[in-house]
Amino acid sequence: MTAAALTIPAGSTEGSDFVPWLVVAQMAAPALALAAIGVPAILGRPLAERTTTRLVGAGFATAFATAIAMLVILAARGFPAEIVHLGTWFAVGHHEATIDLVADGLSVPYVCFSTGLCLLVNAFAGKYLHREPGFTRFFVLLTVFGLGMNLMVLAGSIDVLFAGWEFIGISSMLLIGFFHERPNAVQAAMRAFITYRICDAGILVAGVVVHGAVGSGDFDRLFHGPWPDARCLVSPVIAAVVAVLMIFAALGKTAQVPFSGWLPRAMEGPTPSSAIFYGALSIHAGAYVLLRCEPLLDAAPAVGWLLIAIGGATALHASVVGRVQTDLKSMLAYGSMMQAGLIFVEIGLGWRVIPLLHVVSHAVLRSLQILRSPSALHDRHALVAALGGPPGGARSLADALPPAWRAAAYRVALERGYEDMVVMRFVVEPFRRVVERIDAAERAWTTWLGELRLRGPRDRGRRP
Amino acid sequence: MSSGVDPSSLLAACGITVGSPLLAAAAVRLRWWPDAPRRVALTGLVAALLAAASMPLCRDPGAGATEFGGRLGGGAMVSVDGVTMVMLPFVAACLALVIGTAPRRSLDERSTQWFLLGAAATFALFVTAHPVLIVLLGAATALPVWRATRDTPGGRPAARVYAYTIGVSLCGLAIGTTMMLADPPWERGCGWVGTTGGWIVALAVIVREGIFPFHFWCPALFSAAPLPTALLATVPQVGSYTALRLLVGHADGVANELVILAQLAPITALYGGLVALVQRDLRRLIGILAFTQSALVLAGLAGTLPMELAGGMALWIASGLSLTGIGIVSAALEGRAGPLRLDLPQGRFWDAPALAAFFLLFGLSGIGMPGTLSFVADDLIVAGSLADHLHGGILVILATMFSGIAVIRGWFGIFGGPTTTDAPRHAILPRERAGLALLLAVIFGIGVVPGPLVTLLERASATLLRERHTPPVNPAPVSPEAVLR
Repeated sequence: MTAAALTIPAGSTEGSDFVPWLVVAQMAAPALALAAIGVPAILGRPLAERTTTRLVGAGFATAFATAIAMLVILAARGFPAEIVHLGTWFAVGHHEATIDLVADGLSVPYVCFSTGLCLLVNAFAGKYLHREPGFTRFFVLLTVFGLGMNLMVLAGSIDVLFAGWEFIGISSMLLIGFFHERPNAVQAAMRAFITYRICDAGILVAGVVVHGAVGSGDFDRLFHGPWPDARCLVSPVIAAVVAVLMIFAALGKTAQVPFSGWLPRAMEGPTPSSAIFYGALSIHAGAYVLLRCEPLLDAAPAVGWLLIAIGGATALHASVVGRVQTDLKSMLAYGSMMQAGLIFVEIGLGWRVIPLLHVVSHAVLRSLQILRSPSALHDRHALVAALGGPPGGARSLADALPPAWRAAAYRVALERGYEDMVVMRFVVEPFRRVVERIDAAERAWTTWLGELRLRGPRDRGRRP
Repeated sequence: MSSGVDPSSLLAACGITVGSPLLAAAAVRLRWWPDAPRRVALTGLVAALLAAASMPLCRDPGAGATEFGGRLGGGAMVSVDGVTMVMLPFVAACLALVIGTAPRRSLDERSTQWFLLGAAATFALFVTAHPVLIVLLGAATALPVWRATRDTPGGRPAARVYAYTIGVSLCGLAIGTTMMLADPPWERGCGWVGTTGGWIVALAVIVREGIFPFHFWCPALFSAAPLPTALLATVPQVGSYTALRLLVGHADGVANELVILAQLAPITALYGGLVALVQRDLRRLIGILAFTQSALVLAGLAGTLPMELAGGMALWIASGLSLTGIGIVSAALEGRAGPLRLDLPQGRFWDAPALAAFFLLFGLSGIGMPGTLSFVADDLIVAGSLADHLHGGILVILATMFSGIAVIRGWFGIFGGPTTTDAPRHAILPRERAGLALLLAVIFGIGVVPGPLVTLLERASATLLRERHTPPVNPAPVSPEAVLR
């Protein structure tokens, strides 16, 4: 991106108005907040807690206000797709990485909702993490996440989308491992990062395929028109390949089977980050990307069935396993996973607005539940003490099963559907053993070579 | 010589770049300032950096190579082109930062002297395209590394591994270059001598660059050598430069050799990414990451598209900056707490929180995090590789994936886990913080605004690709005397 490219060229949008500037402000506000708290921290002069929360709050409040303004302007116009071209980030020959952002009926409502949630969580975390040693670190990561969310949601090209996607993944991993002195938190963070990294290969390859197919990463070369009525512009084969790769990428972030094992463990992070990441925004990032790429799914109907199968399997798995969880946050994590599975099914069925409404409503409810969970436990203990025992439980659907079936389902649920066992025994362990053997052989060879001495005749005579 | 060039200034800049570390080495050796080897070394390297950075003022960055002295095999004794102008300041900056932030105990007189000699040889290598000088300076860059490793307690086995492998590479380079000069493969009617010479030079590059199955010297060197020495051996990527001058520049004659390099490099990167996942000590992990990154660089350089070449050179810079940062942080940590294991979480976060933050940021900047130059470089290499040969691109993607996991595993291994302290015991020193913050600013600066650098690299790639299709001619050499007159 050159300095000249940062200026918004006239006529780059469908109407010359405030929308491009609002989109730029949407990006700049969290970025400036990040710089304002991150630079002093890296220079060894972290800001005071109150200053930190105010700066981050100001960043998210500005972003939220600009998002609302965009929503009002676009709603008045009937939600056209306004593409804001901020220039070319870098280019070599015909290969161009452009900074294109899009404000339309999908991105603007979503960005209102995401910045609003970030603002609320910022206010909550300022109190919740008071005097926590990693206070500044939390807010730096929250701002990185907010910036990544804005980039991903407003992305008008696959390059920008990938950049936002990576920021979300990195901040998510670091917040899961926030309490790094706990071995469980470190393991959970590593597990989440490995899952993300494997699945990110999907979006990376998709990006390259898109560049190869249409000569640019811009979405308007793949599909055209305002959301939700955009039309696919590429051949069904290309559409199917890109859609499958996007689904693969979405499986990791959205914790779908067989990549769902990381989500319950991710609750090792601080409650505010659990709420915004695994109750609200990060868990739905995959669903958002699929909603953005819906024209590709329409062009390749078979891929929709794949999505329905994966989402359905995940919803069933999470529903069964979630019932036997003994801690509240794990139960909520499985609840999130189940809803995300259902959203996948809805997208696979070709619905547009219903999955978006489902995402927003589920995210709001779930983040409230997670934020409330520490005090809910306290209230529950008070209730149990007042009643002199636990209150009577409601009947569940499982009660209708025959006892033998119920016992079998219970065992399966306790073992989390054997998903972890299968992955560890048949994938991770054999892989690790092979790599360790290769490494051991290499070490042995290096040791042998290091001991090998090339002696002359005189040296040989001196040897004792 | 192209227009828009101030030859005398350019030659003077080259002279200062190579001469100032030599002068600093002499000052250390002769004990002119016996108590301040760091200051002397840093002065020499900063002078070299300033001289190297002034080169774009002396010539048009878009012009072809400016040459002085005799030419042989298409390369002049002193040759400054787009590659030199970008790579030389980068290498000088990295080495200056390494010396400026190295722990005091690793800067005794002998080590500093060897480091400066190695730096001078590296700078000299980067301003020549003459095949014979490339061979000689290639040897001159290896010698200080070998000596410094050998002088380290317990470093002799690693020094032997380094000597055997790099010795084989240098012998191959000398023999192959001689054969190529005797029977140039880029000329019509080339016989078996030139062809064999090309293959031998390619093999020498493979060994020097740490390409599978000759990669083992790199982790061995990092395991035993002082970290500044190991960085001196790996950050400049002498093998890549040799490949650029002796093979990439004459690709018409050595096309098959480049194809083999382009095939082996992604395999090496994937191999490195895999074995990095199971490492148990930090130094070895850094060594593996070093050869993984250099393999990706070579994957780009051996490509046939401008975007691959530009991506390779961008990754050359990005990985060098990242490796320098990780090396400096690791040296600082080791200087305080001894060798670092990764088998169990070491819990050093609260011991050195600033170093933890820097390690993480440098690690992420080496694995393609958006906002850093490695993201741009990876994008170009992957796009080019997929367009050129699909499986190579897939291997590159897998390699970056595994390297990323290994870096984060290493970070959690050092800084995660139960801690034994409530407050930083090993606070970062001001010189370390200043050096690391500067390096970070450069990484993110050129990562957020990569346009100008990528344009420079694209021009340099275009020049190299043009030269491939234009058999080198031998114009009358311009002697330094004539230039000065």
